[in-house]
Amino acid sequence: MAANSRTLEIKVISAENVKLDRKSIKKNASVTVRTDTNSQFCTTDIDTEGGAYPRWNEKLVLDLPTHSKSIIVEVHCKTSSGVRMVGTATVPASDFVGEYVPEGYLHFLSYTLRNHKGERNGIINISVRMKVPEMYACASSTTWSHSTMGFPAAGNKSFGGGVVTGVPVWYGAYQKNY
Amino acid sequence: MGGCFSDVRGGKDAVGGDLPRPTEPNAKNDGAHNDAIELFYRAHGAYPLFTQLELSFSASKLLNLDVTSKSDPMVIVYLKKNDGKLEELGRTEVILNNLNPVWIQKVSVAYQFEMVQNLIFRVYDVDTQYHNVPVKTLNLKDQEFLGEGSCVLSEIVTKQNRSLTLTLKGKNGHGGLRNFGTLTVHAEETIASRSAVEIKFRCAHLDNKDLFSKSDPFLRISRTVETGGSIPICKTEVVDNNLNPTWKPLCLSMQQFGSKDNPLVIECFDFNSDGNHILIGKLQKSVADLEKLFKEKSGVNFFIPSSRAGHEKVLKGQLFVDQFCEKEQFSFVDYISSGFELNFMVAVDFTGSNGDPRKPESLHYIDPYGRLNSYQQAITEVGQVIQFYDADKSFPALGFGGRTANGTVSHCFNLNGNASESEVVGVEGIMAAYANALRNVALSGPTLFGQVVNRAAEIAARSLSSNNNKYYVLLIITDGILTDLQETKDALVRASNLPLSILIVGVGNADFKQMEILDADNGQRLESSTGRIATRDIVQFVPMRDVQSGQISVVQGLLEELPGQFLSYMRSMDIKPLTFNAAAQASRALEIL
Repeated sequence: MAANSRTLEIKVISAENVKLDRKSIKKNASVTVRTDTNSQFCTTDIDTEGGAYPRWNEKLVLDLPTHSKSIIVEVHCKTSSGVRMVGTATVPASDFVGEYVPEGYLHFLSYTLRNHKGERNGIINISVRMKVPEMYACASSTTWSHSTMGFPAAGNKSFGGGVVTGVPVWYGAYQKNY
Repeated sequence: MGGCFSDVRGGKDAVGGDLPRPTEPNAKNDGAHNDAIELFYRAHGAYPLFTQLELSFSASKLLNLDVTSKSDPMVIVYLKKNDGKLEELGRTEVILNNLNPVWIQKVSVAYQFEMVQNLIFRVYDVDTQYHNVPVKTLNLKDQEFLGEGSCVLSEIVTKQNRSLTLTLKGKNGHGGLRNFGTLTVHAEETIASRSAVEIKFRCAHLDNKDLFSKSDPFLRISRTVETGGSIPICKTEVVDNNLNPTWKPLCLSMQQFGSKDNPLVIECFDFNSDGNHILIGKLQKSVADLEKLFKEKSGVNFFIPSSRAGHEKVLKGQLFVDQFCEKEQFSFVDYISSGFELNFMVAVDFTGSNGDPRKPESLHYIDPYGRLNSYQQAITEVGQVIQFYDADKSFPALGFGGRTANGTVSHCFNLNGNASESEVVGVEGIMAAYANALRNVALSGPTLFGQVVNRAAEIAARSLSSNNNKYYVLLIITDGILTDLQETKDALVRASNLPLSILIVGVGNADFKQMEILDADNGQRLESSTGRIATRDIVQFVPMRDVQSGQISVVQGLLEELPGQFLSYMRSMDIKPLTFNAAAQASRALEIL
C-alpha cells in the first residue's frame, strides 16, 4: 500500500508574544498551515481575545505528499486595514518523522516565528501526529498497558484460594506479527 | 523614570485558576509538593525533615512610583544562602494600580526544621506590559524597586496566626526618611491532593455600578483560614460591559480550596482601571454547594454585607454554575507505584579540564588509600537515588570527551569498554566501569554533551514502540565548562518532546553559569539553531558543592524538578497510571465474559 501522501493531524495550540509593527497585537489572530509544495492549506478560526498570546487549540488535517520536506505555519492578524501576515515558521518533516520514534506519536513542537523582515516575532506552539494506516491503528493508542491480568475463573468474589486464569491484554503484539 | 503607564489589560487577567500550556509543569496544582522526595525518605525509614508551605502576601501603604496612576506591585521571594547569594524561590502576580494589594499567587517553600532559612522579600512596581506574560520572565531591570523586607522563615511559622508583618526598607536596608510601607507574609501548610475541579461561572442581573456604561464584572474567590480571615485563591478575568457575564472556566485544585466542604467566599467586583474595584455583591458557598447548584441548575443571590449583623441586603444578582467537572491529577508516586519505570543512564566527563588523573589535584585522581574522588563521590551519592527508583538497576554507562583505545576522541563511548553493550549493573557496576575506563581512556576534549544527549534520546524514542510506561533520565557528571553550547542546545531541543529528563551534576569549583542557561528556570525556553524551541524544560542542574556544603541534600537536588518534568510529559500525552487503565479494562472485559 504505497501511499503518495501521509495524513497529518496538526493541532494549533497557541502563540506567544506576537507583535505587529513593533506593538503587541490586540486580537484577531489566525493560523494557516500549508505544505511546502503548496498543495494544500488549512486555516484556524480567529482568536478574538488572546491579544499577543492567542490560543486556538484547533485541529487541522493536511495531506503531506511524500516528497514534501516541510510544512509552513503562518500567523495572520486581521486588522482594520486587512489581513496581514505577522510571522511564519517552517516545520521540517524530520521533526515529526523521527528515525526511532513510532508512527502515530504525538509530537509537541514549538518554533520561533519570523516576520517578513526576518526578525523574531514570538513563538508558535503546535502538536503534530501522523495518521497511521488502519492496520497499525492500535500502535498509536496511548492508553494500552503492557501488563497481564488475571480473572477468577469461578467468578467468586474472594481472592484467597480461588482459581485464577490469566488473560494477556496486549493489543500491540498481535498487530506487529504482520 | 516613574512609568506613567499601567498595563490595564494585564490587570484584567485571570489569576490562580487558569490552564497553562499542556507541556508546562503545572507546579501550582502540584503545590510543589515533592512526593518523590518523600517516598525516598519514607522507604528508608526516615521521615522528611521538612514541611511544604505556601506563603501568601499582602501589603499596605506602598510607595507610589507611577505618575498618572498608582504602582502595580509584585513580590519576589528570595532565599539567602550561606555564601550570601540570593536564590529566587518564586513570584506573585502583578496587581494593577494598588498601594494596598492582596496578592493571590502563592509562593511555595519547604520549611526545613533543622536549617535557618533567611528569606528576603522584594516588592517591585511593574512598568512593562504583563498581560498574559508569565511572571517569571519579567525582567527586574525594567521595573522599579518599591521596598525590601527580610525575616527567617521560622519567625513566620512560630507565630500563632502564622502571619508576620514586616516594615519595608530601601535597598541595603536603609530606611531613610521615606516610608516604604509594610508587607504581611502568611504561611500555610500545603496538602497534597490529586483532585481538581473545573468550574464555569455565570451571573445574571448584576447591579450596574458604572455611570455611562455597564459594570465590568469579575469574580474573586477566597477561602477562610483556621486563624480567621480569608485568603484569596483566584480571580476570573474581567468581562467588559456586561451585567450577565459568563467567564472562562476556572481550574481549582484541592490544595487551593482545602476541602469540598470548606466555605469559600465569592465576591463579584466591578473593575476600574484606577485600581478601586467596587464590590457588587458577595456570597459564601463551599465547593460541594457549587456542585449542587450545577446539578439543580439553580442560582444563588448575592448580598451586600451591612454594618448591622443579620441585616445584609439581598440583591437581585445571581450566580450560576454552568459547568462543574471533577478531574483527577495523578501524582508522580501514583505513576511509579502503578508500574511506570524510571530508567537512569550515566555519562561521565573525560575531558582534560579535570586534570591529569595521576596528580592528586585532578578530579579523576584514584587515591590508593581509597578516598573517593569527586566523580566517585558524585556517582555514589547520586547512585543511592537512582538505585531506589530504577527497577532493573541496569544502567547504560557512557563517557564523553576521551581518547579511546583506537586513538580517536569519542563523545559517546561505553565506560565498560564493551563495543556494543553499554549497560552495567548497580552502582558498583558504574564504579567498576569508571575505574576501568580511567585505565584505558586518555582525557582529552572538548566538552560536548550533544552526542550523549542524542544517544539518550534514541534510547527513549526506541522504547516508545513497545510501551509507554518508561521514562528515561540521563545523568551527566561534568566539571562544567561546555565547549559548544549551541550544539548541546540543539540536542536538548530535539529531545524535549520525548520521555526524557537530563540531570546535570557539576563537580569541582567551576563557574556553572552555562548550566544555568540550560536549566532554563528563568522561563527562557531553549532554542536550536534551526529555530525550533524546546517543548518543555527537561534539564535540571545540581552543583555538588551545594550538596557537600550541606545546603541541599543530593536527594532533594536531583529529585526537585524530576517529578514535574515527568508529570508534564505524562499529562500532555494523556497517559494515565497503569492501574487506572488495568481497572478500566478489567471491568470492560468482565462485562463481555
